[in-house]
Amino acid sequence: MLSLLLKSMRSRIIPTSLVTISLMASMVLLLSIERIQQGAEEGFNRSISGVDAIIGPRSSSLELVLYTVFHLGRPTNNITTKTINDVKLRSDISWLVPIALGDSHRGFRVVATEPNYFQHIRYGNNQPLTFSKGVAFAELSEATLGSDVAEKLNYSVGSEIQITHGSIESIGSKHDDFSFKVTGVLNKTGTPIDQAIFLDLKGYELLHLGWKSGKKVFSLDDVGLSSLPADALNPKTVTAAFVGLKSKLTLFNFSKNIREYPKEAISAVIPGIALSELWSIVGLVDKGFRLLSWIIIAISIIAMVTLIIASLDNRKQEMTIYRANGASPKFLAAMVVYESLVIGLVAIIGAIILVTIVTYFATTQLNLALGVSPSFKWISLNEVKVFSIILLAGVLSSLIPAAMVFRKNLHQTLS
Amino acid sequence: MLQTLGLEYHYQHGKQIVFPEIEIERGQRLLISGFSGCGKTTLLSLIAGALRLQTGEIKFDHHDYSSMSSLVLDKFRADHIGYIFQTLNLIPFLSVSENIALGVRFSQSRKSRVASLNQEIDRLVASLGLEKEVLSAPVNRLSVGQQQRVAVARAVLGKPDLILADEPTSALDSDTTKKFLNEVMETFDSTKQAIIMVSHDASIAPYFDSVIDFNKHYA
Repeated sequence: MLSLLLKSMRSRIIPTSLVTISLMASMVLLLSIERIQQGAEEGFNRSISGVDAIIGPRSSSLELVLYTVFHLGRPTNNITTKTINDVKLRSDISWLVPIALGDSHRGFRVVATEPNYFQHIRYGNNQPLTFSKGVAFAELSEATLGSDVAEKLNYSVGSEIQITHGSIESIGSKHDDFSFKVTGVLNKTGTPIDQAIFLDLKGYELLHLGWKSGKKVFSLDDVGLSSLPADALNPKTVTAAFVGLKSKLTLFNFSKNIREYPKEAISAVIPGIALSELWSIVGLVDKGFRLLSWIIIAISIIAMVTLIIASLDNRKQEMTIYRANGASPKFLAAMVVYESLVIGLVAIIGAIILVTIVTYFATTQLNLALGVSPSFKWISLNEVKVFSIILLAGVLSSLIPAAMVFRKNLHQTLS
Repeated sequence: MLQTLGLEYHYQHGKQIVFPEIEIERGQRLLISGFSGCGKTTLLSLIAGALRLQTGEIKFDHHDYSSMSSLVLDKFRADHIGYIFQTLNLIPFLSVSENIALGVRFSQSRKSRVASLNQEIDRLVASLGLEKEVLSAPVNRLSVGQQQRVAVARAVLGKPDLILADEPTSALDSDTTKKFLNEVMETFDSTKQAIIMVSHDASIAPYFDSVIDFNKHYA
């Protein structure tokens, strides 16, 4: 029967393929929305691991996470190093890594931190950062690069770089009186870490010695490094601090205590909770899109059934000849149902291929825009469910034309 | 082999037809002639089992149509009857040989009577005066005469007991009709098969063993 069916469908190739394409396109829409959303979520979630809390100024917790981890949105206020040092003394803390953000190098952001950053900060499923070349910075004039930075700018161990004040090249003016020497390059992580340049906080402070309110007052060339007092390069403020606790059980208590810190308005943000806030906002828009794609899929299935019904009249001759040669009405009805199955399956296979291509490009875009790169996958269990629902809906609705064929008696068609 | 008894048919629009009795044995050729609209096609449909009996009986060997369901009749038709239409006998998207093979597509018993499908198709095509090249040609390139021969090949493939032909020559000119009927009667197996043809053309009567004239029946 299949070869007869396929030949029959081939004789109606244009309308049949158009309907298949429309069904396929609507599935691509639904799956792309789902995959991009999941990819973004996964990409975000894997970007920060091992960090129990982020201490920063009291503001929106989502804003703090987006800025400190993903470099998105508006810069937050700074907090004083004094406060950080106070927090560091708490007995429930296992480690603390301060970071200062704000400068950049040729579009890549600069993260000023301490060398223990590379020891404590993890990504993905609690994987530690590793070096593809060299080692972490140790001196204030040294820098460590994320893998994308090294690759795109063609830097390696020993390269000299200068930092731009602010985040955009054309607006900021260069800290051209001091350069950093690259000591190491990190392995690729698929997170924003790949697109960052890491400096020592002291080096960062040094850069800004001659600056007041975003303007350069004097050049470092006029200052002898050795003549500076020992604590001059200890930063007064930082953007935030990543914290690891000895026990996660104390997390909520810790967060409450930090909020109640009397000397400065600070808060401790739990990254996972802040991100889930983001997903609940994104989720609303997402639901709307998803509903819309289901409606489009329903319309495509209706179009398919309409096509099958419309074609029945043209296939009268074909059907009559089958019947006259002894085919039962069951055979003809089954042929109609199988036709919808074939259309559905072809559309699904096409959709999987197209969605894979779309996801590939979307992942690249996601990586460019956010620095996150979700893992590649062919097909998920949820998608198999979606396909089954669509296939089932297609077959069920094809029962209408199948019943029409079944009930037509042969004599009506013979004469 | 086949016998009808007291067949009547009431159409939905009110018309009623009382059919003459028909009896045919293997090897016999029966022509039913009469003006159009006299119910010839309806009679063929009843014999083919495509139309359910209303009044009367049809007996085919030991089988009684009135005791068979539609599904059983479909199977019965596949096994025992070959059908030739007036026109539009062929499926346009299938090749000529695929169209002929449809004759045994739905019947195991007819299929089992054909040792080699391709050889048998070649034999029938040659016997019906068609060139072998026709087999691979698209159906719409064939002349009406060629198409009707292909339909005959399909109807006799696998040697069904009875061949029903509904005005197969109506679209052919008189010369072609003669040639066509000669070939059909040669191809048809007069030891095993019977043929019932319906036609308004009384001039083809010499090709048949017996003729039932519907016009006379009503007169």
